[in-house]
Amino acid sequence: MSTATAAVGRQASEDFRPGSKRQHEVTRLMPGPMLAIILTALCALVLIPVAYIFLASVNSDIGVARGEFLPSSFSFENYSKIWTSVGLATGLTNSVLVAGSTAVVSALMSIATAYVLVRYQFRGRLTILRGLLGLQSVPGTLMVLPVFVLFSSSATYLGIQVIGTQWGLFITYLTFAMPFSTWVMVTYLRGLPRELEEAARIDGASNIGVLVRIILPLSWPGVVVSGIFAFLLGWNDVLFASVMTRPESQTAAVALQVFGASQEGGAIPFYGQMMAASLVCAAPVVILYLIFQRYLVGGLTAGGVK
Amino acid sequence: MSTDSLTAGKPMRRKSSRDAKPGPQSQDNTSRRRKGLSERNRPLWMLIPGGLLMIIIIVVPLLLGIFMSGLDLDQYSLRKWVSAPFIGVQNFVEALTASPLLHAIWLSVSYSLLAMVVTIPLGIAGAVATQNAFKGRAVIRSIFLIPYVLPSFVVATVWRTMFQPGSVIDSLLHSVGIDAGLWLNGPNSYWTLILVQIWASWPFVYLLALSGLQSVDHEVHEASALDGALWWNKLRYVVFPYLKGPLSLAFLIGMLHHINNFTLPFVLFGIPAPSDVELLPILTYVTSFQSFRFGLSAAMAFISLILIAIPLFVYLRAVKLDDAETPGGKK
Repeated sequence: MSTATAAVGRQASEDFRPGSKRQHEVTRLMPGPMLAIILTALCALVLIPVAYIFLASVNSDIGVARGEFLPSSFSFENYSKIWTSVGLATGLTNSVLVAGSTAVVSALMSIATAYVLVRYQFRGRLTILRGLLGLQSVPGTLMVLPVFVLFSSSATYLGIQVIGTQWGLFITYLTFAMPFSTWVMVTYLRGLPRELEEAARIDGASNIGVLVRIILPLSWPGVVVSGIFAFLLGWNDVLFASVMTRPESQTAAVALQVFGASQEGGAIPFYGQMMAASLVCAAPVVILYLIFQRYLVGGLTAGGVK
Repeated sequence: MSTDSLTAGKPMRRKSSRDAKPGPQSQDNTSRRRKGLSERNRPLWMLIPGGLLMIIIIVVPLLLGIFMSGLDLDQYSLRKWVSAPFIGVQNFVEALTASPLLHAIWLSVSYSLLAMVVTIPLGIAGAVATQNAFKGRAVIRSIFLIPYVLPSFVVATVWRTMFQPGSVIDSLLHSVGIDAGLWLNGPNSYWTLILVQIWASWPFVYLLALSGLQSVDHEVHEASALDGALWWNKLRYVVFPYLKGPLSLAFLIGMLHHINNFTLPFVLFGIPAPSDVELLPILTYVTSFQSFRFGLSAAMAFISLILIAIPLFVYLRAVKLDDAETPGGKK
């Protein structure tokens, strides 16, 4: 996701290159008709399943089960049912709450960590940097059991009930988002000139002052990238949420997964509701991505650093 | 957990640091003077909140997990895991000899490789096709990224519906005279998984390939145009060498992501998964939370960590950790 937008941002700036038609001819990599075929094929590959989500969500369950692509009957009532039947009202509230707070806190914490890692030399700095990269690839399935045990021990020994609350998820997502968020900020802060900080220090600013008054305002595109990433991590997770939540603290991802799994066997499953819920769960992410894409283009090209 | 997006940002980092870097000169001149200042007043305490969190929630559980792989843990002893009997390497022995672990490793690795083999050409094709400006390119680029942006659980739910017996894919195949049988159970499920994984992850390769294409200098295009190179020769001998770096990165990250991917097979096939798609993460999960053999599951998880360590090691060697050490040392 973040890669996406970054790449797009770069390209957008390159499009302004004095590019006449001739230059396009020079850089062209393939004959036009072939490009058209590839583009059409790839767009179809992507769009047909995406269109199907919507079409099935307004179709009747029997229609979906019979294998219709274009619905034989239209109805939007699936979109009103899912809030209670799938439990999407609770699920989305919890998801927004947990993922949103994860985003904010992890962005703020990672900027402080990254600032120190970028600006100061100390022993173990490279180890930390390498660790940040390595920790990103630790399999979730390896962590979920020990984290679960750790949290349930905290109930036994400390008397703090974490399992089943949103707090447990929040802490988990926050931690797992930190390595990546910090990496994003590290690379972003590297690009910032030190002159402004120095000027602020000469004017008597403290470390915190520099961070809040100078670094934060200058690096907010990076903050947004790392925040959105943390949000997505919480939003998309099924593994931890399926183990550590109760029905009332369930996230949207788990609500949908449980609803889908409970439709096995017997009567015709509520396909329409599943698709409607899928679309609703995907919408915030796609919208974030679209807003974020444009924003990042501006952030990278205009960015106050020159 | 969700390594896809975790690792996905790496190329961006490199890029953005390259973009925003001030001239090498200015940094070089000032860095010596600055060291004096930064030595004195280092706010190392700012590392504490993040560091503490990562130690408590990642490092401690990691060690705890390794310790638990030596315990005989089940649902009764889990509450008092400290006093559970220590059985040494027995869990590992059982995992390797008496459980479907080796089968799961084989499935995980082969499925990851097969998915990569298809996503790489798809990604290159997409990148090549959108490299030159044309009307509507921005829209097409956004469209290409949709599968990558959709949450895994949504992708899996949707494909699960489409692959239901008699549902849209079956009726489509039926109309051209193919009857493929069950998709979500039996031997076909392995191919279903690969198919969906390809659909979900080719845009990632596309992005990295695109960034590789952007790095081809305009002069190179001009030179090959002057030489009158045919387009496929130009692609093969002039442009593709530029893609080697980004694509190897895509390969490594993709492999890590596929091997670690839990959500997609979990939601696509449900639990218990058909044995043809009992991948490593699924097996580990089922052993923990369905069979309640926690010690055995921890041993499996540990073995999968070793498996992951191979591509991870290559990757860590390849990624440049630090620009700050050599200011201005552009790669």
